[in-house]
Amino acid sequence: MFVRDYMTRHPVMVDPGMSIVEAQGIMAETHVRHLPVVGKGKQLMGLVTRERMRIPPTELASLNVWEITRLLSNMTVEDVMVRGENVITTEPDLALEQAAQEMIEHKIGSLPVMEDNVVVGIITEIDMMAQLTALLGGTVAGVRATVRMPNRKGELAKVTGAISKQGWGIYASGGVPTPKDPDHWDCVFKVRDVPQAELLAVLQGIEGHEVIDIR
Amino acid sequence: MTTMEKAHAPILKVGNAAISYETRYGDVEAVRDVSFEVHRAETFGVVGESGCGKSTVAFGIVDFLGANGKIVGGSIKFQGRELVGRSEDELRKLRGDQISMVYQDPMQALNPSVSIGDQLAEVLTVHRDMPKQEAWRKSIDMLNRVYMPDSANVMSRYPHQISGGQQQRVVIAMALLNNPALLIMDEPTTALDVTVEAVVLDLIEDLKRDFDTAIVYITHDLGVVARVCNHVGVMYAGEMVEVGSVESIYKRPLHPYTQGLMRCVPKLGATKESSILYPIRGRVPAPKDRPTGACVFAPRCDYATDCCYSEKPSLREIEEGHRARCFYSEEIDAGAWRPPKGLVPELALGAEEEGQEPIIRVQDLQTYYTQESKALLSLVGAGEKRYVKAVDEVSLEVPPGKTLGVVGESGCGKSTLAKTIIGLETPRGGEADFLGFDITKPVSERDVKLIRELQMVFQNPDSTMNPSYTVGHQIGRPLRRFNAVPPSEVRDEVVRLLNAVRLDESYYKRLPRQLSGGEKQRVGIARAFASRPDLVLCDEPVSALDVSVQAAVLNLLMEIQQEYGTTMMFIAHDLSVVRFFSDYVAVMYLGHIVEIGPAEAIYAPPYQPYTEALLSAVPIPDPTAEQKHIRLSGTVPSALHPPSGCVFHTRCPRRDMLPDGGKICEEKAPPWQYNTDEHRIYCHIPLDELRQMDPVVTTD
Repeated sequence: MFVRDYMTRHPVMVDPGMSIVEAQGIMAETHVRHLPVVGKGKQLMGLVTRERMRIPPTELASLNVWEITRLLSNMTVEDVMVRGENVITTEPDLALEQAAQEMIEHKIGSLPVMEDNVVVGIITEIDMMAQLTALLGGTVAGVRATVRMPNRKGELAKVTGAISKQGWGIYASGGVPTPKDPDHWDCVFKVRDVPQAELLAVLQGIEGHEVIDIR
Repeated sequence: MTTMEKAHAPILKVGNAAISYETRYGDVEAVRDVSFEVHRAETFGVVGESGCGKSTVAFGIVDFLGANGKIVGGSIKFQGRELVGRSEDELRKLRGDQISMVYQDPMQALNPSVSIGDQLAEVLTVHRDMPKQEAWRKSIDMLNRVYMPDSANVMSRYPHQISGGQQQRVVIAMALLNNPALLIMDEPTTALDVTVEAVVLDLIEDLKRDFDTAIVYITHDLGVVARVCNHVGVMYAGEMVEVGSVESIYKRPLHPYTQGLMRCVPKLGATKESSILYPIRGRVPAPKDRPTGACVFAPRCDYATDCCYSEKPSLREIEEGHRARCFYSEEIDAGAWRPPKGLVPELALGAEEEGQEPIIRVQDLQTYYTQESKALLSLVGAGEKRYVKAVDEVSLEVPPGKTLGVVGESGCGKSTLAKTIIGLETPRGGEADFLGFDITKPVSERDVKLIRELQMVFQNPDSTMNPSYTVGHQIGRPLRRFNAVPPSEVRDEVVRLLNAVRLDESYYKRLPRQLSGGEKQRVGIARAFASRPDLVLCDEPVSALDVSVQAAVLNLLMEIQQEYGTTMMFIAHDLSVVRFFSDYVAVMYLGHIVEIGPAEAIYAPPYQPYTEALLSAVPIPDPTAEQKHIRLSGTVPSALHPPSGCVFHTRCPRRDMLPDGGKICEEKAPPWQYNTDEHRIYCHIPLDELRQMDPVVTTD
């Protein structure tokens, strides 16, 4: 689970000299929200987002329709982009959660992925969500069980042991500390090709564990 | 873990594009109303015969149309950005950074006077301002990525010092150095041998997966499409007549043209009947002669009705994601198609005459080319002479009226064998006997009667015809020369021959430049058969022709052969073409025949390991066919220093079947093992083990 596996290679990119009207058109056409701005040889010069393209209403209020047109037609990507050194970037070999950390920290929606000073991809919140969904087996059919277990070593093994003893397999799983309860831990399991009632019975048979949801 | 399909806009979106060339006759629309999309990590194949506008589409994408070409309508969007109407500067930047191209002939894409390393590194130093040393290192990495053997050394060599397959790898490496989002490949493997082609196609698959590159793949070969493409667009006369996923198009071709193409592609069928080729009648119209306001394919279509001539069909969605430009796609059942009368010759089976004396018998034939050593002594003729063993110890025989197919990679000596038999090369040793004549003498010393009985059809019809003589004169020449008919009847005989190759009398007065490739090859065939020879040598007579024409020429050859009872030797570079044509097949490698026998026996186990590899390299026009994955490493060794023992041991994938990793193969020439009286295999591996191998191709 590295950035390189989840990033979009060959992102849609624009030149700094492009008019923002055209850049807006490209965003609409390709359904992307972040455009890395590149110069010669795909070297990163900046980043434009939909937000960046917005002109403050206060500025607009003072203009008539002709002036707005002129303003827009004279504006280039370079005028609105986040400039080179201010763009937060990442690298293909970074772990996915490290990239996510960056995005959370700076409250941003995307990170251009750089290799040898060249843009090789882009990773966005959507990619992270896709990863989360895949992590919990969201896209496959099966029984999803949430088990609350004591925050102790060896508890997870009890669940995996009980499931494998039945000859079933865990397709995906993930665990987090129970919110506001440091003594417990919530784990989600996705088990395929198994009747829900049977899985519930097996999980309920584990001492000290509580099945808080099964669907 | 499967990743979710993310909804991405296509990398390339072509919508209703129309491209014209300015000519003397005014603007000629070469391509019209072409639409398709290519996504990341996806290959879109564009197929069709030559003259259908495939390459024009490719060039149009990056506006490489030349001075007289222009995009006259529609849009071409790359990553959401319109390319039509861009300035030359903007396009150049895109071409360098994000769009790359690979062309058919690698030698034309490489500069012969600059070393490979400099050419590769230049891409990075120019486009990315990368320091030379780093660029050099990156280039070596990329060469490794395209599986170039000895990459660091290759960097300092010049293009002519590496083989064709390696040159094409260099071109692909160069195209990928900038990690392009879109790669346009125009017949990248057409100039390569089948075994090399198979390796390059594997490479393209790997690169698509690893780099997420979108590929537009242009080819005339439906087998290649089935191997590498996800989606296919079939082009005919400048229009896209069918678009769909590769599975749906091969499973159920909806347009009559696609159906016709499928029928005329040589297949590795299980039986002789299933490998019959059905040509499409007529030929692709020139751009200025295309019908307007009508279906462009109607003149060649078996299903055409009045409606097809008066109205133009649109590209309609017939099944989900599968569109065709035909009024009757729903109704046409390709499986119920029967060839119209006269399209294919009746196969005169039966009438097997046993125990006929072979018409030609070759025993241990050797043809060597001398190469002077570079030492000073050789200037005075005292240097040590070295020999290129182009044909070595070749033995074969062909019964009268039968066809022997000779197959092998380029450089295996098949053409030299033909030239030796016809007398253009003088053998160094061995015996060759044809109708009781000794044919080891060069053609200049041969009796006219012998020359008359031995004729040849050449590969390239362009270079075998004198451009300044009329067709009639050229066909008449052997008639006069050999006194085949009285001089007063020459003209009638020529017309009869023209008719026999399906050309009418009006061709008598034409010059070669007024003929299409297929027609020229027909004239070449008529000329070869003019003297009613007993043996005709065909040196790759159809490899320069389009598939639909190829099928027609092959059928024609077979028909004439049956009429005259002529014996033929048919040289080809891949096993699919000779499949239905030959009674016997000989597989050659590095001057040696490694397997020879009746055609059916060659295509089924036991195989000689080289035959097996050749069969597994042939692209099969059926995405569901299971084919063994055997790839030969390296290239054919130099015939100047052939490997010791078995000539194939350096590349043999089956050597491990013998004890000590096949030590014996290096030390001792293998024996001829007889599977049946007629079928023999040149290999150390015991026949029983060879027999147990699975067939290379299995289809449902």
